[in-house]
Amino acid sequence: MSSVNGAVPTTIIVAGLALAGYALLLTALNRRMSVPLLAALGVLEILLLVLVGLIVARLASGEHPASLATLIGYLIAMPLVPVAAGFWGLLERSRWGPAVIAVAGLVAAVLMVRLHQIWPVIHV
Amino acid sequence: MSEPMASPEPPVPPRASTRTGPGRLLIAVYALFALSASARAGVQIATKFHHAPVAYLLSAFAAVVYILATVTLAVGSPTARRIAVVSCSVELVGVLAIGTWSLADPATFPDATVWSGYGSGYGFVPLVLPVFGLLWLRRWNRGTRQGAKDVVAETKEPVPPY
Repeated sequence: MSSVNGAVPTTIIVAGLALAGYALLLTALNRRMSVPLLAALGVLEILLLVLVGLIVARLASGEHPASLATLIGYLIAMPLVPVAAGFWGLLERSRWGPAVIAVAGLVAAVLMVRLHQIWPVIHV
Repeated sequence: MSEPMASPEPPVPPRASTRTGPGRLLIAVYALFALSASARAGVQIATKFHHAPVAYLLSAFAAVVYILATVTLAVGSPTARRIAVVSCSVELVGVLAIGTWSLADPATFPDATVWSGYGSGYGFVPLVLPVFGLLWLRRWNRGTRQGAKDVVAETKEPVPPY
């Protein structure tokens, strides 16, 4: 019950911002996509999937927010963000590949705030 | 395996286009807004259209503009770039006009659009995105017939190390 509250969303915010900072540093240093960056993106993806699982479990227990359609949209879109950014960033052979990954990190953090607005039981 | 070996061009890295370099980042952000604006407009129109019809129709319009800009920037042909310039211009005018309208007449906007308050609900990204889009396109539309590398050479701009 407390798993949706706090720990996982907060971890995602921290991880997303850290990933964005690291990726922007790579862009500033004129580096291309790297394995460590992809690994960090993978960690973010796993965290997002864990959160989706927790929220689905909570929905399955009978509770749901006023705007259920929006929440379901978020649950579908959320895990796609790192995947899409990973593919799009890998197509780029320059410093702008990591910049795409930075967007994914920032988006993940912003999504946590939006999730809380959609369904306040999802605490940060 | 059956690739034409007599290709007149030697194998080169992917050609520079509006979708490479900084364009890669630009398209990523545009795609994000295309997705979120269309999803949001879809839900709003489907579930509570009469609550704020003007706001929701404008959301849908914004979504279409974002989709168009994303696709045309990604395609990058001369025609696509022309459409992209129009899309980004409409977007800039839209965010300025709707931003002003939403502040002057809040009653018409009981629910926010992407462009309300100059995109303040989205960290003002909707305001700066078309500016960067137009700057990026301007670079490509100078001397379109010669292609990107010549454009860079002609204008004697320093070639960015991307």
